[in-house]
Order: sequence, then C-alpha cells, then structure tokens
Amino acid sequence: MDEEFDVIVVGAGFGGPVAARICAKAGLKTLMIERSENVGDKVISGLTIPFYGFLFGPEFIRDGNPPIERPSDGIINYIIKDIEKGDIEIDDSLRVPKPFSPIIAFGYNAYCKPFCEWEVRKAVDAGAILKKSTTAIDVIREDKYVKGIITDKGERIRSKIVIDAEGSKGLLAVKAGIREKYRPETISLADTYDYVMLKEYVDKIFGYSVKMCWGWDEQRIAPPLGYGNGLMVWPYRNSIHFMQDQCLRINESHIPNLNKLFKEYHSNITQKLPWWKNLVEPRAKLRARMWDGFEIYVGLNKELRNMPNHIDGMILIGDAAGLESTELCDGVPAAWFSAEIAANVAIDAIHTNNTSKLFLKKYDRKIKRHPIIQWSISGRNRFNLRTAQKEHDLKKLRKYIHNGWGLGSLTHFMTPFFKMLLSDVNKDPTIITKWIKMFFRYYQNWFYESYDYSSIRKFREATSKKLKKMEMKFTRYLRLIDSLLKSLKKRKKLLSAIVVPFSNSLNNLMKKTLPIFEPIYSFILKLLNPISNRLNIKILKFVEYANPSVFHT
Amino acid sequence: MVRTFKEFPGVEWVEGTGDFIKINEEKCIGCMNCVNVCLASCFEIVEQKARVKSLEKCMECASCWYVCHEDAIIFTWPLGGTGYKSEWG
Ligand SMILES: Cc1cc2nc3c(=O)[nH]c(=O)nc-3n(C[C@H](O)[C@H](O)[C@H](O)COP(=O)(O)OP(=O)(O)OC[C@H]3O[C@@H](n4cnc5c(N)ncnc54)[C@H](O)[C@@H]3O)c2cc1C
Repeated sequence: MDEEFDVIVVGAGFGGPVAARICAKAGLKTLMIERSENVGDKVISGLTIPFYGFLFGPEFIRDGNPPIERPSDGIINYIIKDIEKGDIEIDDSLRVPKPFSPIIAFGYNAYCKPFCEWEVRKAVDAGAILKKSTTAIDVIREDKYVKGIITDKGERIRSKIVIDAEGSKGLLAVKAGIREKYRPETISLADTYDYVMLKEYVDKIFGYSVKMCWGWDEQRIAPPLGYGNGLMVWPYRNSIHFMQDQCLRINESHIPNLNKLFKEYHSNITQKLPWWKNLVEPRAKLRARMWDGFEIYVGLNKELRNMPNHIDGMILIGDAAGLESTELCDGVPAAWFSAEIAANVAIDAIHTNNTSKLFLKKYDRKIKRHPIIQWSISGRNRFNLRTAQKEHDLKKLRKYIHNGWGLGSLTHFMTPFFKMLLSDVNKDPTIITKWIKMFFRYYQNWFYESYDYSSIRKFREATSKKLKKMEMKFTRYLRLIDSLLKSLKKRKKLLSAIVVPFSNSLNNLMKKTLPIFEPIYSFILKLLNPISNRLNIKILKFVEYANPSVFHT
Repeated sequence: MVRTFKEFPGVEWVEGTGDFIKINEEKCIGCMNCVNVCLASCFEIVEQKARVKSLEKCMECASCWYVCHEDAIIFTWPLGGTGYKSEWG
C-alpha cells in the first residue's frame, strides 16, 4: 500500500471500529488493520455490556440496532458455603425491578463476533477502509514521531496518526515503547465454555439474569488465585456462556498447574452445584471451549493507571490502554468511551497539523477526567473479596459481594453515573428520550429475534385502536420530556450550581442512607409485586406490538 | 488448511502461523511457569529448559509470556489470517 492515510486504527475489536467510524465521518482518510481472517474471529469475552456503555457511548450504537443476544436485568449472586451439602446463600439485590425489567436493562449480553462485525460495517459505511489478515508488527518512526505501521507482510503504511486498539496484549504498544509487558498480577486468565440450550430452558432457568457464584477455596469452585468469583454464567438467546477466571499471580511466585485445576473446578461445579447439575447439565450441550487473558487489574496500581497513553503520533485506546474495569470486569464501555475521545483528539490534531505528544496529551487529560472510566479502573472490590475468602469471613464476603455486585454498588457508582448523565444532558437535552427509545428498541429487537427489525418486520397495520392510542400518548410524552429538558438547558448555569455539588456527594449520601433505604426498598418492591407484574405485562405488550417507528430517534 | 480438536470444540486453527512463540534457551531457567499456565499444553521441559512442544492448539492468550519473569519467551502474533478462530467468543 503506497497510499498515505490520515489515521490508521490497529484492531477491529470493540473499540477500533468506533474510532475509525468517527474519523471517517469527519472526512479523514481512515484505515483499519485487523490481524484475523474475519472480524471478531479472535475476540473472546463474556459478555454483558453494561447499560452505561450504551447510554454514554457512541451515538451510532445507542441509536442503532446492534446485535444483542439477550437483555440482562442484573446479577444473581450465589454464595456457596458448602457445595457438598448444597448450603448456598443468594444475593439478588442488583436487579432491575419489575415493572421495568427487562426493558430497562442492566446490560446486554452479546457474542463478540457479530457485534464487532456490525461495528465494522458501520465504520466501513462511513468511509473507513478495512484490511484483514494483516498484523501490525511495528510502527514507522521518523524523528520520534510515529508515522504509520509496518505489517507482517513487510508493507509500510504511512499515516499522520496511529490509534492503537489492539486489545489487551498490547504487543504493538510495547514495540512502540509506550508500554512494557504487564506484570502477571494484573492479568486474569478466563476459561470459557459455550453451551447450546433451547430458548425455553434458558428463559426458565436464567430469565434475564446473569448468575455468579462465590465461595471458599476449598469448595473448589473458585480458582485458587481468582479474585473472588467462582464462575459467571451469561444467558444468551439459544445458548449460555460459562466463565471462570483466575489471576496469573497474586503473591505467590509459584504458578499452579492451571490446566489440571481448571478442569477440576469445571467438573466440580457441573457435577455438584445444584442448579447446574439438576437444571443446566441435562439440557445443555457443549458447543465451544476457549480462553483468553484480560488485564482487569491494571488500574488497581496507581502507577500503571497513570501511565501515558500516547506518544508523538500515536494514541492507545481500550484494552491496549489498560482500561479494563476491576469493578465489574467489563471493558467494552471504556473501549467505546476512549475510542470516541481518541478519534476527536485525532481529528483536532490533524486539522491543526499538530500530532505531537504535547497536543495528544489532551487525550490523557480527558481519560483522567472521565468519571466512569476512572471509577471502573480503580475499584478495589475484587481485592477485598479475595481477602474475605482467604480469611473465611462470611460477613465480609457478603458485604463485598453486595458492594460490588449487589445494590451496595450504588455507594460508589452514583457520583460517576450522575456526572456523566449531567454532562450528556447538558450537551444534548433530548438524550433522555433517546435513551428511553433505545431501551424499547433493543427489547423489540430481542423479542423479534432480529437485529434490525425494521428490515424484516412489516409495520403492523393491524395494531389495535388501544395500542394506537398508546403509541400516540407515548410519542406525546416523549416530546413533552424533550421540551422540558430543552427549557431546563436554558437554565444550565443554575442547574450546574445546584446539581454538580449535589452529584459530588451522592456516593456519600448513598453510603449513609442505603442501610435504611434498602430494607424499605425491598419491602415496597414486595408490596407492589402484584401491581408491578400487571404493569410489566402491559408495558411489554405495548413494546411488543407498537409500531417500531415510535422507538426510532 | 484448518485444524480442529475434539477436546476443544467450536474452535478452528488456520495453518501457516509460523513459529510465533520462541524460547531463548540462554535466559530460560526451567521454572515450569509456562508449562503450568498453558491450557493447550504447548510447552515441555527438556534438560531443565522449556521447549515449545507444539503450537497447534495455542489460543494466543499470551499467559506464557506474562508469567515468564526471565523474559525468555518471545511472543509475537501468528501471521495475519492464521491461528485460532471461533464463532462463539
Ligand atoms: C473472557 C473475557 C470476558 C469479558 N467479559 C466482559 C464483559 O462481560 N463485559 C465487558 O464489557 N467486557 C468484557 N470483557 C472485556 C472486553 O472484551 C474488552 O475490554 C474489549 O474487547 C476491549 O476492546 P478493544 O477494542 O480494546 O480490544 P479487542 O476487542 O480485544 O480488539 C482488539 C482487536 O485487535 C486485533 N489485533 C490485535 N493485535 C493486532 C495487531 N498487531 N495487528 C492487527 N490487529 C490486531 C485483534 O484481533 C482484535 O480484533 C471480557 C474480556 C474477556 C477476555
């Protein structure tokens, strides 16, 4: 390739195509390099992409129809006290309550390959060029500046900026001298099994909830160096995904025989865990087994967390920048957020003809100011869980599970969430109704088993009069919310003066009030259960039958 | 050409990767870390040094590279378009 590009994006996983699309849309000549034969061939994940990735992430994903497998309304935590006796405790407080579940979702479960392919199509539609089966093995350097990449075929492809979205191993970043090999303490190795299962069984056994198991080491469900969790199981459409992960090293320098151990833990769980043994095992058929390492503990180390993510002419995003979350083990939202920021900085840099590291520092400053990225890479809860497990302290274990994966997460998530919400509403006051439409549209896509219902489903002329009326009402309400928020925007200053300081102390407020609020909340939920269920059926019916156009932006 | 293995369903390996993991024998101290961490049994110890037995089932997770504190493992990617792939990740 003799052409010169404005931007080369290395890696077409979750983050790369987002950066490529934004750059291409801004008129930059953009090339995406992907080492696998087909996009998504080598991306292995869970995967629940949390709702905040969709709400605060790229517009084309929020307003589009990405391929999701199932909405997820939260997590059910099983604390395995004695696997032999079936002594198990449950914490399922982190679930979106009825009547909102599963329309308002905690996240969306997805397979990586169709999702990344969808993103890449959007980037290509916007004008980016995709080059597959090509590994970037080094960067072109001229006077300290990165000026493109060198491929495994020996090609030298030049560009003004390289956005490195190569994922967690960061081999190119190491070559370029921005990173060193991460220490094994920061890496978790995840052993993953994919099972086929009839949809009706997945519906019955899992519904919309991810299941997670926790326990003492001797229960042999949690790998010995795991930071707490024994396993996670994600329900998909006609399948389920099972994952155990294990840190490559904690304090011990000795690495145990993982091949033997993972097998042992897997068979222990599948043969002894009551819900797996009785419900899943007879109905599930193993379809695939694979594994990958991910660097979810990078952020725990302040020094690593503060490493620069750029040099002259090159920016790291997503996993390549170490932006995996220690709090929930999710990395897709941070990959999307950082891709957007990087693309916008790259566009500015190219327009001002300044790709120096001094200019690109803007990117790092924005990453450091991003409330959700910073929250997600610095949470210590999984370390705390490990300590509780080691000490066999059930009280602590309960507390940390509740803090990390139960309602207690509100005590550290409220401030970053609210800050993001405010800044997005300030930028675009109609965003709230876009979010509502997104939730409804995603549910409709899931329900009609199609990633883009509008191309398959004919508009339902036959919707009943009652539904038509509801559609009209719904549209009117959304317009009302929009105009209300627009008028609020005019009072932005006043809003910031009151709301910003308030959002800063939200976490503390939650810490203080949650012990009182939580029992009241569960009591009210129980009390309202019959009404919520009825309302839930009504809402679902409306979303299932309404004309899809009302859920478009 | 594509390889599959019964013990790893749902995964295929496209041939032509080249020797993408190598061991620097001078640096290797035979600590067994790479042998223990590898779920695809790619390594063996011969005369107190690690050796790549076979990369045919390697899933390119790089765990061997991370745990080698002597930096004896040279880890690169297989040639573009080759190596493991799966629909179900
Ligand atoms: C087992 C597991 C479970 C996970 N679960 C979740 C979850 O539930 N929720 C969540 O949000 N996140 C989860 N993650 C994290 C999430 O998958 C990552 O954070 C996300 O994929 C990062 O996106 P990225 O674009 O930075 O990198 P990736 O998506 O990894 O993409 C990198 C791409 O670059 C390509 N590439 C690499 N090197 C080169 C090169 N030199 N030249 C050309 N191409 C190259 C790769 O083939 C790949 O396609 C999980 C990860 C793992 C491993």
